[in-house]
Amino acid sequence: MATENIGTFPTGLAIGTEARTNPLDDLDTVVALYQPRVFRFLLATLRDRDAAETLTQETFLRAWTARESFREDCAVGTWLIRIALNLARDHTRTGRFRFWKNLAANAVDVADVASFVPAMEASSESRLIAQQQVAAIWETLAGLSERQRTIFLLRFLEEMDISEIAETTGLPLGTVKSHLYRALHVIRARHAGHAKEAR
Amino acid sequence: MKTEPNTIAFPRPSGHLTEAQFGELLASSAKNTDRALTPAEEHLLTCEQCTAELAELREAIVLFRGATTAYADDQLRTAAPIAVRARGFLSPTLRPMYFVAVAALVLAAFLPIQAVHRRSLQAAPPAAAASAALNSEQYAAESDEALLEDVDRAASATLPDSMQVLADPMGNTDLSVQKSNQRKY
Repeated sequence: MATENIGTFPTGLAIGTEARTNPLDDLDTVVALYQPRVFRFLLATLRDRDAAETLTQETFLRAWTARESFREDCAVGTWLIRIALNLARDHTRTGRFRFWKNLAANAVDVADVASFVPAMEASSESRLIAQQQVAAIWETLAGLSERQRTIFLLRFLEEMDISEIAETTGLPLGTVKSHLYRALHVIRARHAGHAKEAR
Repeated sequence: MKTEPNTIAFPRPSGHLTEAQFGELLASSAKNTDRALTPAEEHLLTCEQCTAELAELREAIVLFRGATTAYADDQLRTAAPIAVRARGFLSPTLRPMYFVAVAALVLAAFLPIQAVHRRSLQAAPPAAAASAALNSEQYAAESDEALLEDVDRAASATLPDSMQVLADPMGNTDLSVQKSNQRKY
């Protein structure tokens, strides 16, 4: 499966390409390259499969209609994630979302996600511990502020640099670091408590 | 925009990494290995506890990413394909040409209608003039007859209409009778 390359930006679509054509004109290629990444980010942010799917569609629609405004001053992936982030913000700020969030039949089940832990653990006990760690991070993320969660996901799920996160979110570098450290502080505390229970 | 302080005053465990140092170590990518070690990294060389905790947390985050990516890929397999082109078929680069084409079509449809209308207006005057001439002829004939009748009436009268009051100051006599008598004499 091609999941290994999801977090990286293909060089053909990054800054400094020799071809002067707009990389977003080839929509099929853009979708094939970035749909998994955009969907994954939205799924982890919204925790709702249907909403993530809808907003992924919307992200590419917006990117397509606004492709003339893409000046290649950032990577295509960063630009798409920025669009997805704005859509997710708009989505979560509507009262309708809160209502459906409570009733969502498609809400992500943390246990389901944890069951997808890579099968590199030797023993079933180690695998169980790994699943518990993943579930603990998912649960902890739910309790973080919107900014802390977004920045954590951009850093550790999308593997963006701090400067790239600052560019995507429009926040100063110091603010990004501050939110990230606070998120890590909470996750570390939860992880330490979990480790004590395990012992 | 709301800004927050860059430094965080987390409680510092005695002799171990601060929360900010811990966060910095977790958040930093291990790409740049040429630079000098930071105090936090130097601490890790001597503190097994912090090193173990950092390694565990890094591992947990790697597992989180792996599981989330695999789960999202699995969910995406059943997602509907993206159909952007069907909704946004107007290419921004070609959009002015579409508008020009639409304008040309509208003009092409409007101009013949205008021409036909103009032609019909030009064809209309002879008929109208004919009918107008006919009307004026009829009117002239009628007015001539009326004029002749007036002349005939005036000529047949012995007194002009304006002096008939003087002919019968008392106003007792019927004018028509008087006229007939006057004709007899």
